[in-house]
Amino acid sequence: MRRGTFVRWGVPIAAAAVIGAAIGAGPVIAAVSGEPVLPERSAQQLLADAVAATGKEGGIAPMSGTVQQTASLGLPALPQTGEASPLSLLSGSHEVKVWYGGADKVRVALPTQLNETNLIVNGDTAWYWESATNTATKLTIKAEARQDKRALPTPRPTDVTPQQVAEHLLANVDQHTAVRVINTAQVAGRPVYQLVLAPKDAGSLVQEIRIALDGETYVPLQVQVYAKGSAEPAFQVGFTQVTFTPPADENFTFTPPAGAKVEEKTLGAGMEQEVAADRAEHAKDVAERAKVVGQGWTTVAVVPFSLSDLKTATPSDGRQGRGPGSGAGADPSALIDSVLKSATPVSGTWGSGKLIKTKLVTALLTDDGRLLVGAVTPEEITKAAGTK
Amino acid sequence: MSTAESMAGTAGTLGSAVGTTEAGTQDERRTPGLVPVAESLRSTERRPPEPPAEAPAPAAGRAWAFWRLLGSELGLTFRRPRNLTMLAVLGVVPIVIGVALRLVASEEGMGGLVQDVVGNSLMLTFVSFSFLVLLLMPVAVSVVAGDSIAGEAGAGTLRYLLAAPAGRTRLLLVKYLNAVVFAYAVTAVVALTALLTGLVLFPAGDVTLLSGTTISMADGLLRILIAVGYVGAGMAALAAVALALSTFTEVSIGAIAATMVLVIVCQVLRAIPELGSITPYLLPSKFTNFDAVLRSPIDFGSLRDGLLAFGAYIVLFGSIAWARFSGKDITS
Repeated sequence: MRRGTFVRWGVPIAAAAVIGAAIGAGPVIAAVSGEPVLPERSAQQLLADAVAATGKEGGIAPMSGTVQQTASLGLPALPQTGEASPLSLLSGSHEVKVWYGGADKVRVALPTQLNETNLIVNGDTAWYWESATNTATKLTIKAEARQDKRALPTPRPTDVTPQQVAEHLLANVDQHTAVRVINTAQVAGRPVYQLVLAPKDAGSLVQEIRIALDGETYVPLQVQVYAKGSAEPAFQVGFTQVTFTPPADENFTFTPPAGAKVEEKTLGAGMEQEVAADRAEHAKDVAERAKVVGQGWTTVAVVPFSLSDLKTATPSDGRQGRGPGSGAGADPSALIDSVLKSATPVSGTWGSGKLIKTKLVTALLTDDGRLLVGAVTPEEITKAAGTK
Repeated sequence: MSTAESMAGTAGTLGSAVGTTEAGTQDERRTPGLVPVAESLRSTERRPPEPPAEAPAPAAGRAWAFWRLLGSELGLTFRRPRNLTMLAVLGVVPIVIGVALRLVASEEGMGGLVQDVVGNSLMLTFVSFSFLVLLLMPVAVSVVAGDSIAGEAGAGTLRYLLAAPAGRTRLLLVKYLNAVVFAYAVTAVVALTALLTGLVLFPAGDVTLLSGTTISMADGLLRILIAVGYVGAGMAALAAVALALSTFTEVSIGAIAATMVLVIVCQVLRAIPELGSITPYLLPSKFTNFDAVLRSPIDFGSLRDGLLAFGAYIVLFGSIAWARFSGKDITS
């Protein structure tokens, strides 16, 4: 080999090194640097600041960005569901674009290949646009429903943003949890405080939950849930790109295009409840008989349950004429079948049943018609099954 | 047939083709009946390269020679019946899609995409891209790019092309630019036939985007232009891969087939959900990002990511091609 050969091949090797460095630079630098870019804060101070920053009039600062949701829950192989099916959120990663102009101005877009689903909330009207079916649904939100946002029968549009998740999780901080703050992390290129909540109970499947709050605006930018014994987060939702400039107004105005099917729905009206009355009654009936075993992180919910309930339950979106976008596997029964196939039969002094294990959640379907679900180890759940 | 035909044109501009070979200095190793080899591993190792006999041509002359060579390459590429046939086939596909959609449109209960196309003439371009960008356009581009070096070597004309001093890097660059121009020609042919078919079959007017907003016809044409630029860049990145493979073989069909196998393997890998972590780094998964222009506002972030990936592929495989080709023994 001549020296020239080495010199020549050094060029592509150097090119590969530069490209590899460019790809890996972000995460590696963030992980290696470890220099605190933000002043030290205790969890108490941090939460107080966050509440102060986001609780004032106007709420969270206007912003726009890309939210990525990644789930590797260790579920059994899921059937190939359609891209737009909610079940597809249980595995793989998904990107959502968010424009937030204020509490009553939100646009969420779910881009898929040559399709897009949009939810645009502006004041008391909301538009739900699906390009795959070419339908625009106008949702009118009644005044009384707006007063109490939590009373909406549909999930709030902000449910996909980390804020909602963070709020929900912070409610759980109590004597069962060890809290610490990391001030060296970065999310979407911005320095963040990471609030780390770790369960003290060994029976929990959750290793820790990390909530990243922006160092400047205290907006929650990322939520990560780590399962026991895995270095990668089992569930993660957070911004991969974010700007805190108020988004342009045209994002929140929507006119249905010519030729689209336009439907109208009113939220918070009595009609909806009537339609869902028997469903709700059934749900209430179940809720009355449901109970909770344990407390804190090792809570196990016990619900009376039989498989036939599931088989008859159909998705209520009424999409009979399914487009090619939603595959045949988009209905829950196929998912349930594939999950049940992976269930392991277990038995003990409490009886017998089928155990379904994932990284974060364990479910036990007993033969006497109960369903136990919790983020706990199988031992804990069988213990819970014993407490009648 | 091959570049040998264009020798009459190029050799004259490249300076004396025979004068610079060492054929005359190797009398003792000449075997009757064999064509003297201008440069082989042994001969280059044995003797340091001699300085060129004549002073190098002025820069302007070299640049002119470069463009002249590129012009002759392009002329050959676009005169080959094989390449013209591929372009024609690619031009026919959008027409077929358009006619099929037109016939389907009379039925009720059609999906959103069909509805979009039937409702507007410009959408056919994007639908045609989404069909063709996965397999047919890569085939056409890899045939031209994979044939570029290996085809010359297989036909025994490569060393005549390299007769001029400082020829290798320049020849590789010319071959690559030729493939890039062809890649853009392929993209433009698809876009134009789809556009014309759409204008004939479907109503012209405002375009409905995927986000449900409506834009004017002029804005729609501008977005088609952006999409053509993006898809062409993706095909140019694929051409770099094919060119690199082309420098490793003397059988052009080998380089072409290897490129196609790579594309198909990438598509298979993309379909496996468990491999979701590597799919963003595969070249074909960036080809379909052109639908970013159909969103409101245009998703420039996704276009930028795609273009950066294309640039990375071009730099990496271009440098591999250069490293291999500049140190290769040219014996054919």
